[in-house]
Amino acid sequence: MSPASEPILATSHLTMRFGGVVAVDNVDFSVAQGELRCLIGPNGAGKSTFFKCLTGQLRPSSGSILFDGEQIGGRHTHEIVARGIGIKTQVPNLFEGLPAYENISLAAARTNRADAAARVADEVLELMQIPEIAGDTVGTLAHGQRQLVELAMVLAGRPRLVLLDEPAAGMAGEERARLASVVRNLAGETTLIVVEHDMDFIKDIASTVTVFHRGRIFIEGHVEEIMAHSEVQEIYLGKETNAAA
Amino acid sequence: MAASRYWRGVALVAALFLAILLFVPARFDLFEVLQMTQYVVLAIYALSLAYIWGFGGIISFGQAGFFGLGGYAFAVISINMGDTTVPFLLTIALCFTFAAVLGYFMFYGRLSDVYLGVVTLVVTLIMWKLINHTAGPEYAIGEARLGGFNGIPSIPIMRVPFTDREMDPGEMFQYFMGLLIFVYLLLHVLIRSKFGRIAISIRENEVRTGLLGYDIRRYKLLVFSIGGALGGASGAMWATYQTFIDPNAFSLEMSAKCLIWVMAGGVGTLIGPIVGVVALQYLSLKLGETAFINNLVILGIVLVLLVLLMPRGIVPTAHDWLRKGLALVLRQPSRERAQ
Repeated sequence: MSPASEPILATSHLTMRFGGVVAVDNVDFSVAQGELRCLIGPNGAGKSTFFKCLTGQLRPSSGSILFDGEQIGGRHTHEIVARGIGIKTQVPNLFEGLPAYENISLAAARTNRADAAARVADEVLELMQIPEIAGDTVGTLAHGQRQLVELAMVLAGRPRLVLLDEPAAGMAGEERARLASVVRNLAGETTLIVVEHDMDFIKDIASTVTVFHRGRIFIEGHVEEIMAHSEVQEIYLGKETNAAA
Repeated sequence: MAASRYWRGVALVAALFLAILLFVPARFDLFEVLQMTQYVVLAIYALSLAYIWGFGGIISFGQAGFFGLGGYAFAVISINMGDTTVPFLLTIALCFTFAAVLGYFMFYGRLSDVYLGVVTLVVTLIMWKLINHTAGPEYAIGEARLGGFNGIPSIPIMRVPFTDREMDPGEMFQYFMGLLIFVYLLLHVLIRSKFGRIAISIRENEVRTGLLGYDIRRYKLLVFSIGGALGGASGAMWATYQTFIDPNAFSLEMSAKCLIWVMAGGVGTLIGPIVGVVALQYLSLKLGETAFINNLVILGIVLVLLVLLMPRGIVPTAHDWLRKGLALVLRQPSRERAQ
C-alpha cells in the first residue's frame, strides 16, 4: 500500500450495542488520507451512531478505531478532537445566543491565541463565503446558514478528518451548491466522511459511497454503480432483500 | 465597543461600591453598619453560586456546604492559631480543595445536572448531620471544641492583616466591602478571559464545547472549585462577623436562600445576586419588625410575584425596562422635530 493511499481512519469489528439493539454491527471501515467518502443508508442504519463512536460521544461495545495509526476507540471526545477529528452534527449544534463570528472564534481559540484565532475565524468565514452573517446571532439564522456556520466552526479547529452528518439538509439551491463547492475544495488536503440522503448532492461531491444498512456495511463502490444497484434502491424504499438479511 | 461598554459598567459598579466602602462607617449608626456588613458577607456567598450557576451552568443545591465548612474551618484554625489572616487564607484553600475533590467525582464521573444538584444537596445534609453530632468534649480539634448543635462560640474577630489589632465594626465593614469589590472584579476578569468564555460556552452547549475539543470536565471542575472557595470565604467572614458558628450554617435554609437570592437578582449577572441579597434580606428584616403577620408568608408571596413578573430576575428586567424607557424618551424629541 502506498503512503498516499494509507488509511487515516480504520475501524475493525466496531460494534455498538444499546441493550439488545445492535446499532453498529461488526463494522470494518477505512478511509484513505485526503479521500472524500459518502455514507448513505436509511434512517436507523447506524450512520450517526458510527460517527458518535468515532468522536468519543459513545464508547464502542467492542472493536477498534485506528486514527492515523493510533487507537482512539473509547477515548474522550476532547482527546479525539485534539488529535484532528472534527464533526458537524446532524442537528446544528451551536451557541445560539452568540454571533456567528463568536461561535467560530471560540472554535479557533482552542489551538490559537486570541489574535491568531480572530485571523482563523476571518479566513474560515471567507472560505465558507458567509462573512455577511458574521455579526448575526446564530439563533436568528436560517437553517441552511446555521449548517454553514457549524461547518465553519469545525474547520476553524483545523481537523485532518472532517465528519459531516447531513450537511445539506434544509439547504436551498444556491446554498447547497456553495456547500458542495466548499466540500470539494476541502477534499485532498483534508479527509472527509459525509453522511447524506440527498443523492444529487452526493453525485456532486463524491466518487466512493459506502452503504450502511442495519448497522452493517452493506456495499461499497462508485457512486453511479451504487445508485444503479437494485438492492440499494430497495433498501432506500424500505423493502426487504435477501442480501440485506 | 461592546467590551469597553462592559468594562465601563463594571467600573461604575465598583466605583459605587467604593463610595459605599468609604462613606458608610461615618454616616450610619453601629446597628446599620453591622446590618450592612451582614449583607456584604451574604453577597459574597451569593456570588459563589451566581458564578458557578450563571457562568458555568452548574446548579448546586448545597452551596451551604462550603459556607458551613468555611465557617467551621476558620473557627477551628483561628482558635488554634490565634490569628485571623492566615486562617482566612487557609480556609479558602481548604474549601477550594474540598470542592475540587467533590467536583472530581461529580464531573469526571459524568454526572448529569440533576444528579449533580442532588449530590451537592446530600453532601451538605450529611455535613449538617455530622456536625450536629459533635456535642461531646471528645469532638475537639486542638483547642477548638466543635460543640454539636451548640456550635463554636468565641471565634476571633477579624484582625487587621498581619497585626494583632482587632477590627472595629466600621473597619470590618470596609475590609469585607473591599473583599466584595475584589471578588466582583476578579469574577468579571475570569468571565471575560478565555477560560470564562469556554465556561460560558459549556453552559450554553456542553456537547458542542466538547466537540470543539475542550475538556469540559476540567473547566467545570475549576469553576466549581472557585465557587467552593468563595462560599468558604463567605462562611469564614460570617464566623468572624458573628464570633460564632453553628450547624445552621450547613442548613437547607442557607442553601435555599442562596438559590433564591441568585434567582431573584438574575442568573447570569454578578450584580443581580448582590441586589437580591440586599433587597430580600432588608425585606426580611423589615417584615420581622412587624408582629401582626408571619414574615415568611409575605416573603413567600413576594418571591412568587418576583418569579411571575420578573422571571429573569430583578437586574435583567430592570435593565430591559430602563433601556426601553430610554429609547422611548430619546425617540420623543426626534418625533417632535420631525413634526
